[in-house]
Amino acid sequence: MSFRTKVFLSIAATAVLSVWIVAAVVSTLVTQSFERRDAQRTAALVNQFQREFDRRGIEVARRIEAVADSDAVQRLALNLAGPADTSPYFTEAQTLAQEQSLDFLELVGPDATIISSAEWPARFGYKEDWLTATPDWKSQAVFLKKEDLADGQALGLITVRTVKAGDGMLYIAGGRRLDQEFLDSLPGAEGMRVRLYRQPGEVTRVNSDATITTLPLRGRDNQLLAILLIENSRADLVALKKYIQGTAAIVGAAGVLLGLLLSFWTASRVTRPLRGLASSVREVAVGKWDTRAAVSSSDEIGQLARDFNGMTEQLVEQRDRMIQAERVAAWRELARRLAHELKNPLFPLQITIENLQRARDASPEQFDEVFRESTSTLLAELGHLKTIIGRFSDFAKMPAPQLEPVNINQLAREVIQLFEPQLHAPGRPAVETKLLLAEDLGDLAADPEQLRRALRNLVLNALDAMPDGGQLTVRTSRSDSKVAVEVSDTGEGLTPEECNRLFTPYYTTKLHGTGLGLAIVQSVVSDHKGTITVRSEPGRGATFRIELKA
Amino acid sequence: MRLPVWAWLALSSLAAAPANAATRPHYGGSLTVELSTAWTTLDPTEWNSALSIPITETLVRLNARGGIEPALCVAWQHDADLKRWRFSLRPKVTFHDGEPLNGASAAPSLLAALKKKYADVSIQTGGQAIVIQSSEAMPDLLSDLAAPRSTIVRQSSANPLIGTGPFRVTAWEPGRRLVVAAFDDYWGSRPYLDSIAIDFGAGRARADIFDIPVGPARRILPEGIGTWSSAPRTLVAITVAITAANAQPMLLQALALGIDRAPIVNVLAQRKGEAAFSLLPQWLTGYAFLFQSAPDVPRAKQLVSQLRLAPISLSYPANDAFLRSVAERIALNARDAGITIQPSQNALNNPGGNLRLIEWQISSEDPATELERIATALGVSRLDASKPEALYQAERSLLDRVIPLVYLRETYGIAPRVHIESSKSDAFALHLEDVWLQQEKPQP
Repeated sequence: MSFRTKVFLSIAATAVLSVWIVAAVVSTLVTQSFERRDAQRTAALVNQFQREFDRRGIEVARRIEAVADSDAVQRLALNLAGPADTSPYFTEAQTLAQEQSLDFLELVGPDATIISSAEWPARFGYKEDWLTATPDWKSQAVFLKKEDLADGQALGLITVRTVKAGDGMLYIAGGRRLDQEFLDSLPGAEGMRVRLYRQPGEVTRVNSDATITTLPLRGRDNQLLAILLIENSRADLVALKKYIQGTAAIVGAAGVLLGLLLSFWTASRVTRPLRGLASSVREVAVGKWDTRAAVSSSDEIGQLARDFNGMTEQLVEQRDRMIQAERVAAWRELARRLAHELKNPLFPLQITIENLQRARDASPEQFDEVFRESTSTLLAELGHLKTIIGRFSDFAKMPAPQLEPVNINQLAREVIQLFEPQLHAPGRPAVETKLLLAEDLGDLAADPEQLRRALRNLVLNALDAMPDGGQLTVRTSRSDSKVAVEVSDTGEGLTPEECNRLFTPYYTTKLHGTGLGLAIVQSVVSDHKGTITVRSEPGRGATFRIELKA
Repeated sequence: MRLPVWAWLALSSLAAAPANAATRPHYGGSLTVELSTAWTTLDPTEWNSALSIPITETLVRLNARGGIEPALCVAWQHDADLKRWRFSLRPKVTFHDGEPLNGASAAPSLLAALKKKYADVSIQTGGQAIVIQSSEAMPDLLSDLAAPRSTIVRQSSANPLIGTGPFRVTAWEPGRRLVVAAFDDYWGSRPYLDSIAIDFGAGRARADIFDIPVGPARRILPEGIGTWSSAPRTLVAITVAITAANAQPMLLQALALGIDRAPIVNVLAQRKGEAAFSLLPQWLTGYAFLFQSAPDVPRAKQLVSQLRLAPISLSYPANDAFLRSVAERIALNARDAGITIQPSQNALNNPGGNLRLIEWQISSEDPATELERIATALGVSRLDASKPEALYQAERSLLDRVIPLVYLRETYGIAPRVHIESSKSDAFALHLEDVWLQQEKPQP
């Protein structure tokens, strides 16, 4: 994830989180405020319901009294004093109920038989035993009762009065319906709804955006007849919450947009010097040690750029010092090697010359013979000196490679063929050669002479590593875009430390080596943009592997 | 307690004769009648009321004992196969427009009426003789000719109904008013009344005769007003709708056992009828008492427990308060028996539910004819009602699809000045040609 993205996400998250926290706090406070208001409104409505209930109860009682005092009821009561046919009074309750605006009215005889019913006319002749169970209805207040109707049940505000009919009583039971119309007449606040729940399934729809307060409505025997449901609409609250949420969303979106701009600006301000610094680091990594980072501020990033510049300056100084030291060391090594190489042949030269001088002075007769032997030795040593000088001269004169198509397999065969006489020289322990050449190598662009020389040095080293005989293996292979040639011996092998120093000029593990052989090989390989590696373990021989671009 | 026909006759006579029985009938005066139901046609076949205003007549008629007697004919003969009947028309009979009654003038009405029953019937006329002939035997021809559909009328654009009866139409406003006057050239006795004015849709108890509709509404009659009630002539019953013809018979049986008819008669009908357990009333058949049964709710519940019942609808004619109250009472009784019945009004888009509450007007005083009408209405093929035993069996078989509830009488309020010649009245109809008005005493 880029630094710019991180900055953007941080700013956006901060903006959104802040807005969400503010919105949540405001929303909670608003909800609490609405709930307090709803509780107050509900309490007021319950009080109003109770007052209206009482008022209507008084009104119902007054109307039933009026029914009881009516001529029709008095006449009926008079008739009931003796054996009477009550069938002519069948519709009386309907007429009286209509006159008194009552929803329920039943005229019930002394034997609890319905004479006339306004709410269910067909029920005449049926019994209403509950009326005769109460001895004194005059002291009874208005009460709630479930009334049976032809099409179900209804809740009524009922009262009962009695009229003396002979030895018995004529019961007048009636009242008004407690229904939605009654509830609708209650002065409720806006957004409030009052409903009755009388039986399962009656209230089919409850507004999910509303709070419900319940008030149980009980009858004479304290049985639960219905539940008053006071529904407070939360539409205002929901709308306000939606507004808050909408505003928060807009502010949040604006915050995200602002975060985007800020992150872009911040990233531009912060990452530009960082990118410049990173670019400088990459240039240093590829060797441009004189690269400098631009210092555009005095903050931490500016300090970092300054420190980077200081670091590169120190690196350059240290590199120069190291080069100088390496030069000195190289010259010293060269001087030591030259002194060592030249000292060896010089000492026989000196001895030979001193022998000649002593022979001429002490034994002139043997001087000629000594002279002959001495000059022979001198020539041999001079030849040796010449060889040493030639090798140094060759190393110094390594020319740039002349590239042309070269078949590496062919080259390997030629080198092995060159060493055939030496391999089979009389008195030398046998060295077996093994060529494992991949046939699909093809040609590669290389300087054949330099490559042949490098292979020759590797084969020569391998032979030197096997003074007691062994097996020399030359293997070629190709993988991807590279061609590899390996030269392996079965000699004593090398320690890891020797492997590390092996390609250092003038380093040798041999008694008479100049230490330039492998240095030349590495020089050739390096000039061909290739690599050379060695793997070896003590006692298990060594394998040199050259990889060149195909 | 059930009363025989003769008792009804006696009671009706007593009720309709508030005035001094010793008062002698006399002619003259105009009778006013107010009816709550409106007549919209003068077609005698549609005229189904206990109030009889004889404008038209038939060749023969039923007498009070149910026998056939001559009316516009004086004699008849038939061959052995009952395929050819010859009637001799009464002489010197004229229609209300002065045209004489003869074979030619009587034949069109008779042919139209008889064609409905006898497809290949033909009528030949010659003077005062009419010969009715058919390829099939016509054993019931006399009953057919006594039916209202066989009245002999003349077609005229000037007068809606021209017959030969004792009254002739002088004014007719369908649904509002009918005025008839005594036909002075009537071949029989002249009616006592000079005219009769009938106003429809009023029923305000201000006329000489007014109807008292059956129903729960309590009505207090003015002082001095007497009443006349017909013999039971309307059957209220529950029938199975055609769409529910495969209803379980056990359900009907349970429902019939669960219904208590007494409150319907006493309270809802205000005693203007009697409990019905048969299709035809006792006065018509004489055996209706054999069908009587008492309510048996436990037995009904037992039957219902063997059934799987869904709520059943019981439809009743719209705007009929009486039938509505009956339907609600039946629903209540049914609920006690464990049957859920939902009363509902007939509507144009809902002609009826599973069960229907209907009123059936008895229009014939011949039980076989009436039962055949009922059977036809119920979709039952022709019945064998040639003997009383067969009639009984036929009626019993029809009770599988009908629950009779109550027979209703037609009741009329009668003003004190109205007198009915009791010797000529019967319980089935109030014949206005037998009614006379007491003369008002001159003011001192």
